[in-house]
Amino acid sequence: MIYLYIDTSSNYLYSSIVKDNTILGEICEEYGQSLSKVALPRIVSMFEENNIKPNDITNIVVINGPGSFTGIRIGITIAKVFAWSLNIPITTMTSLEAMSLSVEDEKIHVPIINARRGYVYAAIYNKDKELLSPQHIKIDELKKHVKKYDNVEYISNDEFDENFNLIEYRPNFLKIINNSKNKKSINPHMVNPEYLKLTAAEESKI
Amino acid sequence: MKDMYILGIESSCDETSASIVKNGTEEISTVISSQIDIHKDYGGVVPEIASRQHVKNITIVIEECLEKANMGIEDIDAIAITYGPGLIGSLLVGLEAAKTLAFIYDKPLIPVHHIAGHIYANSLVKELKFPLLAIVVSGGHTEIIKMTEHYKFEKLGGTLDDAIGECYDKVARVINLEYPGGPKIDKLAKIGNKSYKLPIPLQDDSYNFSFSGLKSAVINLVHNENQRGEEIRTADLAASFQDVAISSIITKVKKAIINEGIKNVIVAGGVAANSGLRDAMEKLTEELNVDLSIPPMKYCTDNATMIAAAGYYAYLDGRIAGLDLNSKSQDTLV
Repeated sequence: MIYLYIDTSSNYLYSSIVKDNTILGEICEEYGQSLSKVALPRIVSMFEENNIKPNDITNIVVINGPGSFTGIRIGITIAKVFAWSLNIPITTMTSLEAMSLSVEDEKIHVPIINARRGYVYAAIYNKDKELLSPQHIKIDELKKHVKKYDNVEYISNDEFDENFNLIEYRPNFLKIINNSKNKKSINPHMVNPEYLKLTAAEESKI
Repeated sequence: MKDMYILGIESSCDETSASIVKNGTEEISTVISSQIDIHKDYGGVVPEIASRQHVKNITIVIEECLEKANMGIEDIDAIAITYGPGLIGSLLVGLEAAKTLAFIYDKPLIPVHHIAGHIYANSLVKELKFPLLAIVVSGGHTEIIKMTEHYKFEKLGGTLDDAIGECYDKVARVINLEYPGGPKIDKLAKIGNKSYKLPIPLQDDSYNFSFSGLKSAVINLVHNENQRGEEIRTADLAASFQDVAISSIITKVKKAIINEGIKNVIVAGGVAANSGLRDAMEKLTEELNVDLSIPPMKYCTDNATMIAAAGYYAYLDGRIAGLDLNSKSQDTLV
């Protein structure tokens, strides 16, 4: 089994090729220029460096959001074209779950992504258990939820006006891939971003 | 040379489309998924909504296109993609899909300018004759382009502000016609009288256009009439507006045909569907004795067939892109 993992939901490009339980290649880079210019070429170099051909891939795991709308679409499009055209299974995971999985300790995890204007995308996890589902939420509201728990830590690579005592996020590719094996694969045509937020035009209509 | 099958992909605005064209002239299959009903509620295309729809549609549209052609991607010789101009978020979805397919199947990736696509929609109907004048009129473009040979473009002029189609849609909104209002103005213009006086824009020596002044003139006129308690004669206003908008184009086109020794005029883009423009172009080209081609309606709106057709000539011109190809919201056709 050779897994291709893609996460373009933030200003980092995260990608990996995992064979059985070994990481063959990995990309963890903050991209300075346009994501669409660098994402596929970097992934292609990872294939080439490891002498992997596209049709060696047997499974795709892609982060479907939340995060940068354009960023998510780039990763999702690459991933669904791979899965559809090679006819291989694809599973999705939220960026927040991947963030929580990557921190290995016994604490309650609160991964957060800055959604601006006092909002974050956030969720609360106790190991594999989801205590608060991924959502677009006011920071004050989130804090009310967080108050219910002891031993909490926030995970993020973003900057915030207030001090959260953040743990930096570095993806643990093996853990993410292994966890994805518990998820059901989806018809590639139906793999779509989970923005968790309506467009401004839709919001103003409500 | 052996036959060349090109898969074209287009997602620059609100249509997700894929098409296979043989040798730049023969349409094998085309699928277009239009979002027009989704954007109707907002009175125009909402970029973020359009991007979200493209990502939902993209693989479905490409799969359907291949199925219709009874082909697999391995049977395709190259992939042509609209890289711009257009809505950046929309463009990116088609672009990533095209690049990913080019990588997986090791196919050449051909970057196609959206306007080149509109021009080459005509090569699906009849052979282009040079020197040629392409009048590109749509919701995003109003340009006069000269071509002396295949895939060599020289822009003679263009709009300095609004595109003609944009102007039509805005005027339509002012007189309460539902989006997309352009075709409705065209329809009303046929039954109205040109009884409102509107200024003819930009009567100068350039090949440029300006439509924002005309748009403002209509808005002011409607406002003033309303203030006076006069009811707007919608059909008459549509007729007056259409007359001025089209005259301003025809004047410049006439000058270009004469000055540039043009043999073939082609009209491309969504507004090529406008019957007033078609009639005026027919009259003009007959008078000056040059060939006119206007693509059938199905090639006037955005579609991937024209992208695959243009892609063939771009390929012959040696235009192959790397996987670092990026989308551009604005780009000059050269």
